[in-house]
Amino acid sequence: MKTNSLLHTPEGVRDIYGDELQRKISLEERLRERIRSFGYNDIETPSFEYFDIYSKEIGTTPSKEIYKFFDSENNTLALRPDFTPGVVRSAVKYFMEDELPKKLVYLGNTFSNRSDLQGKFKEVTELGVEHLGDSAVDADAEMIYMSVCILKTAGLKDFQICIGTEEYFRGLCEAAGIEREERFVLSEHIRNKNYFGMLDFIESLDIDSDIKNALSSFSDFAGDAEVLDSANELAKGIERSEEAIARLKRLYGLLRVYGVDNYVSFDLGMLSKREYYTGIVFRAYTFGTGDAIIRGGRYDNLLEKFGGNGAAIGFTVVIDELMNTLSAQHIDIAVEEKRAIVTYDSTSLSEAVELAEELRSKSIHTEMLSLDFTEEKLKERAKETHVSTLYIIKNGEREEAEL
Amino acid sequence: MRYLTFALTKGRLADKTLELLEKNGLGCKEMEDKKSRKLIFVNEEKKLKFFLAKGPDVPTYVEHGAADIGVTGKDIIMEENRNIFEVLDLGFGKCRMCVCGPEEAREKLRHHEMIRVASKYPLIAKDYFHNKKHQTVDIIKLNGSIELAPIVGLSDVIVDIVETGATLRENGLSVLEEICPLSARMVVNQVSMRLEAERIRKIINDLKEVI
Repeated sequence: MKTNSLLHTPEGVRDIYGDELQRKISLEERLRERIRSFGYNDIETPSFEYFDIYSKEIGTTPSKEIYKFFDSENNTLALRPDFTPGVVRSAVKYFMEDELPKKLVYLGNTFSNRSDLQGKFKEVTELGVEHLGDSAVDADAEMIYMSVCILKTAGLKDFQICIGTEEYFRGLCEAAGIEREERFVLSEHIRNKNYFGMLDFIESLDIDSDIKNALSSFSDFAGDAEVLDSANELAKGIERSEEAIARLKRLYGLLRVYGVDNYVSFDLGMLSKREYYTGIVFRAYTFGTGDAIIRGGRYDNLLEKFGGNGAAIGFTVVIDELMNTLSAQHIDIAVEEKRAIVTYDSTSLSEAVELAEELRSKSIHTEMLSLDFTEEKLKERAKETHVSTLYIIKNGEREEAEL
Repeated sequence: MRYLTFALTKGRLADKTLELLEKNGLGCKEMEDKKSRKLIFVNEEKKLKFFLAKGPDVPTYVEHGAADIGVTGKDIIMEENRNIFEVLDLGFGKCRMCVCGPEEAREKLRHHEMIRVASKYPLIAKDYFHNKKHQTVDIIKLNGSIELAPIVGLSDVIVDIVETGATLRENGLSVLEEICPLSARMVVNQVSMRLEAERIRKIINDLKEVI
């Protein structure tokens, strides 16, 4: 092949083809179908929208990582870095009159203009769900249950869903009179498990010693459901925090009914960078990847930003990451496809068409090739594309080649 | 049991880290042979693996989960700004990140005047001048011997690590401002921290005892 610079794709994007694409499509379809089985409806939103939809207060992606461009009227547009704002915008526009909750599932690509050379893609496929208009703890439980189902459907066995809440931490900060700016610094230390940084910072604050004590214990608030008890103990009398714990306990009770409590652990220090989370946050972890494979949480304030109102909870899974994880764990993605090849000489076209259509009607994907190629080449092709049968028709006579 | 993999920073930091780990029986005999050309060293008994890497690569290995645990300097953690947990201050490799330069340059740091800053740590320098001092600066990235820059007139000041300050003094430079204290830190991958919580917590707690 001649070298040609036109062959290259830009940094961070790639072609997907062959077996890999088949596995990807198969996985996407199975996961989406699993979510549909919970009565969720598909939704498609545009690949680009007005930039304001993804602004700092609403979006999860820093502005500098969003691909921006202009339309003919000089409005700033953005290639979607994340689905949630667009889906919520569209839900506020079309479904706000409905009294009953709205349950939506989406599948598509997102784009982020992140820095090069870090081994991360700029275009990935995401599958996600949004459950709008239901603030009950039951909705939280179904979300967690669905996450477990998704991972099991993908073929994973060994994984953990880690649940936290923003409310416990915010309750403590509120009671201590910690200002917004200070809260950001503190939450960063807690989020990064930077125990020493956290202790130093807490020491420097002029706050009640009981709350100091509770704040410095954040690193202990991770593990089984028992951590909720000790966290509750330390926040006695702080209503907001106590309520947050009570809700997590109710959630845990429901997850036991669902029978997925063995996949669940708690981490109250798992705080989000985003202000819009208002209740639980959860992430799924498994081996073979350095990052969470499912991220989700409750964001009851988000609809307000679009002039609507109501609760919202959802999660997303990055399909590409999930595929990497599956291959790292040597888990096969089942592809159910039957294939055949029909080859024919110049006099046998009508027999070949007849046979091919018959096979196709039995849902066997059938490729037709003329007999200009050697049998060896044809067999090679059959092997590459997982063809089960190779038919050769010569002078109207059909035979099956051995593979 | 799964292996826990450590990424250690080549050189003195690795030696010090292994010394600490050794005190808890978590060290690695294989690594004592300095002539070994092996890349991965194993402690079969405790199911630990070790490898050596360049400092700035340690956060990368840990972020991607190629290593569960890493040890590197706070300067590198700040400059790389990766998504990892910083769980422990190991207490050695202590030094400071400072703005240094000739005494005359001190005046230039008092105003919002545009100045030139040379550094091996452009991110740290930028964050300090933009977000803490609110001073617009022109940053020049260098890869070593940063002290040269103000002497030969490449920049007004430098942002660099200061241990004793001897090199600075010998070259007529001094510390003008301190940005933050530094030392060796232990970092952990966020997935490992959750899935191997028990083992990693035990290592952290054991190390806390001997620091």
